[in-house]
Amino acid sequence: MEKAIKKYFPIFVLPTMIAFTIGFIVPFLYGIFLSFCKFTTVVDWEWVGLSNYLKIFFVNGELDTTFIHSLWYTALFTIVSVVIINVVSFIIAMALTKGIRGTNIFRTVFFMPNLIGGIVLSYIWLMLFNSVLSHFSKTIVSSEWYAFWGLIIVVCWQQIGYMMIIYVAGIQNIPGELIEAAKIDGANAFQILKNVTLPMLMPTITVCTFLTLTNGFKLFDQNMALTGGNPGKMSQLLALNIYDTMYGTTGWQGVGQAKAVIFFILVAIISLAQNKLTTSKEVQD
Amino acid sequence: MKRKVLSVMLAAAMTVTVFAGCGDTAEEPQGTPDGAAGTEADGDTAAAPAGEGSVYMLNFKPESDQQWKDLAEIYTEQTGVEVNILTAAEGTYSTTLQSEMAKDEAPTIFNIGNVTAAQTWNDYTLDLSGSALYDHLSDKSLVINYDGKVAGVANCYECYGIIYNKTILNDYCSLDGAVISSVDEINNLDTLEAVAKDINSRVDEINEALGTHLTGAFASSGLDDGSSWRFSGHLAGVALYYEFLEDGCDLIAGEPAIDGTYLDNFKRVWDMYVTNSSADPMTLEGGTYNAEMEFGMGEAVFFQNGNWEYSALVNPDNGYEVTDADLGMMPIYFGVDDENQGLCVGTENYWAVNAKASQEDIDATLAFLEWVITSDEGRNAITNEMGLSAPFDTFTGDYESDNAFVKDNNAYIADGKTSVAWSFNATPNVDDWRADVVAALTAYTNGSGEWDAVEDAFVNGWAAQWKLAEEAK
Repeated sequence: MEKAIKKYFPIFVLPTMIAFTIGFIVPFLYGIFLSFCKFTTVVDWEWVGLSNYLKIFFVNGELDTTFIHSLWYTALFTIVSVVIINVVSFIIAMALTKGIRGTNIFRTVFFMPNLIGGIVLSYIWLMLFNSVLSHFSKTIVSSEWYAFWGLIIVVCWQQIGYMMIIYVAGIQNIPGELIEAAKIDGANAFQILKNVTLPMLMPTITVCTFLTLTNGFKLFDQNMALTGGNPGKMSQLLALNIYDTMYGTTGWQGVGQAKAVIFFILVAIISLAQNKLTTSKEVQD
Repeated sequence: MKRKVLSVMLAAAMTVTVFAGCGDTAEEPQGTPDGAAGTEADGDTAAAPAGEGSVYMLNFKPESDQQWKDLAEIYTEQTGVEVNILTAAEGTYSTTLQSEMAKDEAPTIFNIGNVTAAQTWNDYTLDLSGSALYDHLSDKSLVINYDGKVAGVANCYECYGIIYNKTILNDYCSLDGAVISSVDEINNLDTLEAVAKDINSRVDEINEALGTHLTGAFASSGLDDGSSWRFSGHLAGVALYYEFLEDGCDLIAGEPAIDGTYLDNFKRVWDMYVTNSSADPMTLEGGTYNAEMEFGMGEAVFFQNGNWEYSALVNPDNGYEVTDADLGMMPIYFGVDDENQGLCVGTENYWAVNAKASQEDIDATLAFLEWVITSDEGRNAITNEMGLSAPFDTFTGDYESDNAFVKDNNAYIADGKTSVAWSFNATPNVDDWRADVVAALTAYTNGSGEWDAVEDAFVNGWAAQWKLAEEAK
């Protein structure tokens, strides 16, 4: 049987492979190619070598910090959102697996924000923020830090419920006898958490940190609708910065493409590293 | 063995299904731009006669989508030439144009807004100088000249200035202590400033005397993305106009470097807008203000905007208090040449014809455009249904605009005033330049920055963006 699978796997893989090639590999390779070109439409290009990559950092012969700013701003945003989302959703998940009354209602309520699209959600939050901040003569785009925390709040509000569900599933999968054994051995609640629950939960943590990490780096809708990159371009996360370069600056489609390639490499490296790190801590059965 | 045969067959079946899926898409009727987002004209049953081209228009104005489709249908009925209309959703024109142009069935008519767009699409724009469209143009300055050709011809023109509430302002003149006795006295910046200041400082008194419910003289000057263009674009345009005029360069094409000669006037007008309004200057960038509504509900007397606001202001669905009789527009007096200054007249809507289309399609397209501006159906649609003011000599009699602001503009022109050209159309990398100016203007207005930063973004930003735009050519 195994032999047969080995023999015929190309045939079974073929349909998916074709779709994957058309939908991902070809556009991806073509995108890398275009980052070395000056182009107006994707079929109308002219080879310019590395100049697109140079223009990301040097504009008119001077260092331009717009991209670098959005790079560290995005990194900071991602770190803060990953930490908050995972810690809070883990705590809620722990609370909601203790069998308190109304557990199901709470789970539903916490999960619901995730059902609303990012744009709609951000416009609603925009109104909320601005009406509260107007009492202090401020707006969500008064400075890049108002925008920063605004984005953090929206993203946390949206993603905590989702991650919570994953954590709940993970916690419920921990065999009861392990905890029981620890209790008999005299472990206190903190020791159980540290030595039993967390190690057993590592696969879940891998998944959740991976999701929040990539979500943080890729964030676009909320950024666009909530702050639009204002003030100036100071609250532009990477994805919005790329979009803005692509469509906002005449003749810079290639530069936008080059930024996108750098963006891809960065996200790929970081998420691979994260995956390796957390996977190595997983308990093997 | 049996199992093997079965698995091979199953795999084959799956593969076939996938290809069948592809086949289906390919068999979709050609002619309409397939897969295009948005809405297309109903597929015409009458196929285009062989040898004749077809027309594909990428429409810029979402609000006139249906009118164009109706017009296309009439034209197809009359001539048999297929006309497809695709309208890009608000704010996505450049992205839609970019993706549509990459297709085999690319648009034959598209919109270019300014010289920068003419530069981007230079390879695609056909020289329209010999076309009927150009011949009928009553004001030959309403074109985009680029690279030695007429790249775009205006399909409508618009004017902007300071919209004011005639009724309230007239009533104000009759009050005790009013600084003017007739609206006509406002013909320079000093008087406008004095009137705005007086109204704003006596709002409660005026409300009591006139039974109005004003909150300030000027409607809010929002610096959010939905409103900031009124200042970084339109108000800045007046400063640019006077500078270009002084330097003797093309008023629409501009020059590589500017000095910001009239920035002090810009600052004076901006300060007037902000200080004589009830909006909190600290929160203008938040997007919580709606200037149109404030003016429409009679909460403000002045509102800088253009004639396109007319339909929104008088549309009964919006429930505004103002009516046609209340609406007037005066020039944005700038303290430079106030006695001769008229409204700012120009457009960001130029038709361009795709030079890369086949010759049959180009011919069909030019014929269609000529039909639009000469036939009764076309003229009726443009003037009465879309509410546009067309700059062609064929629009006379019934096809003249009934827009109150356009009428004001005609009166200023008849009075010998000089229209201010839309010099902001020269802005290099317009989005980037404006974003920087708005950021600096916001900081200045909410007190976190200095005016110097506005000057820097305005003057140095211009030179830097110009250089970038040149390089990108």
